[in-house]
Amino acid sequence: MAFVQNFPFFCIILSMFSAIISFVMNGRIAKYIHVAMVTAVLILSLATLSFVAGTGESYTFMMGHFPAPWGNEIRIGELEALMAVFFSLIMMLSVFGGMAHIDREVQDSKKNLFYILLDLLMASLLALIYTNDLFTAYVFIEINTIAACGLIMIKKQGRTYVSALRYMIMSLVGSGLFLIGLTLLYSITGHLLMSPAKEALDQIIAVHSYQVPLMVIIILVTVGLGIKSGLYPFHTWIPDAYGYTTPSASAILSSLVSKGYIFLLIKIFYRVLGFDSIISSHMVNILFAFGVIGMIMGSVAAIKERNIRRMTAYSSVAQIGYIYMGLGLGTTAGVVAAVFHIISHGVMKSLLFLSISGLTEVSDGRSDYLSLRGAGLRNRIAGAAFTVGSLSMIGMPLLTGFISKYLFASAATTAGNKMITAWVVLAISTVLNTMYFMRTVLTLYRPVSAEVHKEYTLEKSKIERAAIIGLILLNIGLGVASQPVIKAIEAGLAMFG
Amino acid sequence: MPSYFILVPILLPVIAGILLLVFPIEDARKRNICIEIIVVINTLLVLWLLTHRPSESFYMFSLGARLPLTLNVDGLAMFFAGLVACLWPLASLYAFEYMKHEERVNTFMAFYTITYGVTLGVAFAGNIITMYLFYECLTMVTLPLVIHTMTREARKATRQYLYYMIGGTAFAFIAIVFYSLFCNDIAFVLGGNLNLAAISNHMDIALLVYVFGFFGFGVKAAIFPFHGWLPAASVAPTPVTALLHAVAVVKSGAFAIMRLTYYCFGTEALHGTWAQIVVLIAALITITYGSTLGVRETHFKRRLAYSTISNLSYILLAVATMSPLGLIAGLSHMVVHAIMKISAFFCAGAVMHQTEKNYIYELDGLGFEMPVTFVALFISGLSLMGMPLFAGFVSKWNIVHALLEHESMLGYISVLVLLYSGLMTGIYMLTIIVRAWFPHVGYHKDLVEDFKDPNWLMKGPLVIFSVLTVVIGFYAQPMLDFIQKIATGIY
Amino acid sequence: MDINNYFLIFPVLLPIFAGVLLMFLKFGKREHMQLYILAILIVDLASVGWIALQPEDTLTLSQFFIAEGLHVFFHVDMLSKIFSVLTAFVWLMVGIASFEYMAHEKNEQRFYCFYLVVGGVLSALAFSGNLLTMYVFYELMTLTSMPLVMHNLSHEAIMAGLKYLFYSVAGAFMVLFGFFLFNAEGRVLYFSPGGIINEANPPGIMLFAVFLMIVGFGTKAGMFPMHGWLPTAHPVAPAPASAVLSGVITKAGVLGIIRSVYYVAGPDMIKGTWVQYTWIILSILTIFMGSMMAYKEKVLKKRLAYSTVSQVSYILFGLSVMQPVAFVGALMHVIFHSLVKNTLFVSAGAIICKTGKTKVRQLVGIGKEMPVTMWCFTLVSLTLVGIPPTSAFVSKWYLISGALDSGVPGLSWIGPIVLLISALLTAGYLLTISIKAFLPGEDYNYAKLVNHEPTWRMLMPMIVMTALAVILGIWPAGLMKIFADIAASVL
Repeated sequence: MAFVQNFPFFCIILSMFSAIISFVMNGRIAKYIHVAMVTAVLILSLATLSFVAGTGESYTFMMGHFPAPWGNEIRIGELEALMAVFFSLIMMLSVFGGMAHIDREVQDSKKNLFYILLDLLMASLLALIYTNDLFTAYVFIEINTIAACGLIMIKKQGRTYVSALRYMIMSLVGSGLFLIGLTLLYSITGHLLMSPAKEALDQIIAVHSYQVPLMVIIILVTVGLGIKSGLYPFHTWIPDAYGYTTPSASAILSSLVSKGYIFLLIKIFYRVLGFDSIISSHMVNILFAFGVIGMIMGSVAAIKERNIRRMTAYSSVAQIGYIYMGLGLGTTAGVVAAVFHIISHGVMKSLLFLSISGLTEVSDGRSDYLSLRGAGLRNRIAGAAFTVGSLSMIGMPLLTGFISKYLFASAATTAGNKMITAWVVLAISTVLNTMYFMRTVLTLYRPVSAEVHKEYTLEKSKIERAAIIGLILLNIGLGVASQPVIKAIEAGLAMFG
Repeated sequence: MPSYFILVPILLPVIAGILLLVFPIEDARKRNICIEIIVVINTLLVLWLLTHRPSESFYMFSLGARLPLTLNVDGLAMFFAGLVACLWPLASLYAFEYMKHEERVNTFMAFYTITYGVTLGVAFAGNIITMYLFYECLTMVTLPLVIHTMTREARKATRQYLYYMIGGTAFAFIAIVFYSLFCNDIAFVLGGNLNLAAISNHMDIALLVYVFGFFGFGVKAAIFPFHGWLPAASVAPTPVTALLHAVAVVKSGAFAIMRLTYYCFGTEALHGTWAQIVVLIAALITITYGSTLGVRETHFKRRLAYSTISNLSYILLAVATMSPLGLIAGLSHMVVHAIMKISAFFCAGAVMHQTEKNYIYELDGLGFEMPVTFVALFISGLSLMGMPLFAGFVSKWNIVHALLEHESMLGYISVLVLLYSGLMTGIYMLTIIVRAWFPHVGYHKDLVEDFKDPNWLMKGPLVIFSVLTVVIGFYAQPMLDFIQKIATGIY
Repeated sequence: MDINNYFLIFPVLLPIFAGVLLMFLKFGKREHMQLYILAILIVDLASVGWIALQPEDTLTLSQFFIAEGLHVFFHVDMLSKIFSVLTAFVWLMVGIASFEYMAHEKNEQRFYCFYLVVGGVLSALAFSGNLLTMYVFYELMTLTSMPLVMHNLSHEAIMAGLKYLFYSVAGAFMVLFGFFLFNAEGRVLYFSPGGIINEANPPGIMLFAVFLMIVGFGTKAGMFPMHGWLPTAHPVAPAPASAVLSGVITKAGVLGIIRSVYYVAGPDMIKGTWVQYTWIILSILTIFMGSMMAYKEKVLKKRLAYSTVSQVSYILFGLSVMQPVAFVGALMHVIFHSLVKNTLFVSAGAIICKTGKTKVRQLVGIGKEMPVTMWCFTLVSLTLVGIPPTSAFVSKWYLISGALDSGVPGLSWIGPIVLLISALLTAGYLLTISIKAFLPGEDYNYAKLVNHEPTWRMLMPMIVMTALAVILGIWPAGLMKIFADIAASVL
């Protein structure tokens, strides 16, 4: 076994360890530990990725020398490694992009808590990506939820408490449903490890027994994870959750947290339930329908919003709808499109939230349209970043959003009678996206008289700037050179099941 | 001639514009001279490129497996690029004078120049995905121009413009995806390159996709019912309305439809299908609607905007006949209308600039004080109406030829619709002239006494365009020969 | 002979340039301007006369091509000669008569500019050798005669001018449909006696096209349903303008119909079809309606206008039955009606100019005040009514006998009946004026007699034209021979 193959395990352990150590450190040291950890995770994941791409097959890693099916194991394939790379990259850029804000907005006594939460988040995401065991997945889902809640609440402000509470309630409902589904699955298969569970399920399906329980499992698992990831109509917590916390947290929450759950869902589809049974249970159609509705309703709600943060949060609802639509197409191409969009959306949304923080900074700290007039002229980089993010959202070629759209549209061509619906909804959704994003861009560049806003000496945080520019470049890079990533996703999916 | 040279006339104005944004030149004269030099150099580059065509297309890079970005100089590209390149220097001169008293002129001229490069990008695109890229960029890059005055009206019009444009490209996008998946090769080829064998069972879907593409690109070409942005965009300064909305933006829409119909899907696959009937009828409705509303409209520039709407659908009507004659007719009207309409808009702009009058009923007696302007408007009006000895007749005649080729009822009805449109055009253009030169008894001469023709920067382009209109009207054969060569694929 | 061919253009270009030049010239005294105009008109008549004396069919000008298939072509045949001589002669006469009238109007110089230009355009119209050329000058004629209608720039005049414009343009576009349809098959529509198309079994669309051409040209000739502009235009136009409008310009419409039916489509193509029947019905309807409206009308010039509507449809009726004798009658009526109507309008002009009276009931006893004027009026009225041996009697006789002989079922005898009824009505609306003018009755205040007779400038043309009308009625043989030749060549 190559040394490289230990890396994923190292990543998870490293992040947990960082969390534990930071308990006794002060904010500054915690920050450095976190940055070091994330960088390390990124490098290790890159190494893993190149290794797995080289060998062309996935491998399993036993935890603690207890063999399956009694012990725990994680499985590493190209897709998982790719996700790990992107998650860590986005987390790193998001933290850099909001670092000065964290320093300002979080109380000194709580600063190390913030980084601890981030560490825990990283750990749980990695675990969700790599795990091959259902119960481990559940444990880390809970850790993820709590860490996310903490992040939402970290700014001491009235609204954040309410948002966090709402998030917690909905999230726990979702976890609860998932747990019940899990329990049912365990009771009919007798396994918690994914691969043996799948074999057992295959046999069960072959003899057509337990049909109703199977259906119930599918529904519970999907709905549970759907609630947690913000599928329409379970999205109501999103605007509150993303809208009021510190920018790094918003970026990370919207880009990564919900995606972890979606990835887990895909994993369960492929590795436990089997994609065929999903299709035959018509779950895909339901996912498609809700995804499509989410695409439209999310954007419609965004158009009505007057607060730029909440607007962007609603946009996430729509984008998650895209991902579920992709899944709901029921073809491999659809799943490829969905996974690419996970990555793509992560890049776009972090960029947007980070630039929003820059824009509100020069607008009296307010985030409503009236105050944001001309903000793009006062903070050029943030304005440019928001413009690039918006253009990407509406699918401008040369940016990553276009590739996502293209993948969805071409996946739709093989999806039979969902084709026209998917196309038309994609087109309508683009227009709706334009209506709120580009409208905001126009507002940002509207010149206002100089007396309206006090002169802001921008705290020129070099790191923040570098992070934003990095995200812009990543956006363009994915837009122009997406082929390797798509190939990696396709290869990864092939070895995923 | 190496093929990468095609990139140069596209990038030069774009880079110049960006530089102008980053390093603004506040002295108007210096700035105007710089810009005009760059624009003229670029035009010369384009003309040189057209006369020394590279023998192969230029591949830049790929956005994905099936999405290569290429540039190519084929016949259609030559035509459109040549048209744009010849008009831009004159339009820039006009813009300098017109914008003299406005604010933020630096930003305006920067984006105006960038638009030049992007339009050339649309012209030189070698396949549909490249064209789509520049098409979207064109929308974005013209936004600051439309919103320039920043009045409430302007902002509203810009939003409307933006939503319509993106809506259009969103549906055109479907056609692009479809074509990229089901073509033999994505590069533009006269006659189309659709893999007919692969889609033979799903021809209806392919036709539906074509209709999406037609209407999607048609939004830029102001097809009914997606024409609403064009009259609203009249709030923009006249150089914008004239060049962009009479020439660059709207003709890009028609150009894109030509590419889609003749160079992607191919007329063999489309001719005689229900899709053809749908697009033909859409064009007919647009022509009727545009012409009729032009009569009712009393705002000068909006009236011309309605005229543009109906005239663009002349081109689309010709294209919808899905035959070589149709392509010839569409191209001839494209160039003729560009010249006529830019001349008319410049006249309107001259009137607005010199007198600040926007409405037709305010123009009584103005013809005596601004003779050059109104003679130019008269010539433009006669040409738009289809009077022989003016350019408009030649292109109308071509369109009618294409329509009557197959002796179908729809063809005859189309000709009658064209004639109706000519009558309406005569009404709304000539009433302006009559008011200007035959003001009714009791008009207040002192109200108009102080106005005069604009200076040479605005007058010159006007005169040149009017002369061109008459020259083509008298001697059209060279232009027609050239177009013939394009349509039969020699280029 | 080349030089002679180019001379063809002389009577076209001379008045046009003279008219345009007149706009920029400044004359010290009114008499100088009048001399200038007189000179031009005389030279024009002389040149037209010289052309008329050339042997038949020798003068042709065919160098000028707009594009392949769009040929501007001039050719002089007998029909051209007749129309051009008639036009030039009337132009001179009315021109002389107008000097006195226009001296009381404003802006007379502008009037004469357009007057001269229209004269030149009409010559071009007469000399046209194919349908395209005729169409060009037809449109030009409309554009340049509109200012004549609108001359006094009152609100009604402008509205009337615009109405004239739009009816005429609509009519011209109807003709254009026919042009497009026939031209599309690759034919250039040169005028050949007996037609150039001569389709044996014409498809419905071709018949429809010919019908549209008839109605289209019929607009200028005041045929129902496109007659609406005539009664509106005449009262507001200055009397000389009304004179030429009724007297000559309507005949341009007639010329158009003759050319379309007899020289392009060919009478055999539409003989016996619904086109012919509808045409006959429309002309009969117009004859009757025109006479009825004239009888009821109280304003003098409007009464004369309705009379024109009616009388010109005599001509159209004669053309529509497609019989040689009727054809001759129709052409004769062209000449006679032209002379008569011009005289009537000139005398009406004299009355208005000298006494300011516009309504019929005011003309009681005016014969005592303006004897020569009213004698001319009466003589030509008698002519128009058709009392032997006056000229119109001859033409009517030919019309009736030709109609009866034509073999058109039913309609051929309705026509003569309507003609007779119309004659009665004509007597009613014209002769009553004369009677009242000379025999005013007991209530008339003889003491208030004032001599309002106009000067020789107005009297001379009146007398000349009256004399011609009478003489040609008594000795029509020369004309008849010429017309019979033409008829034989086309039927």
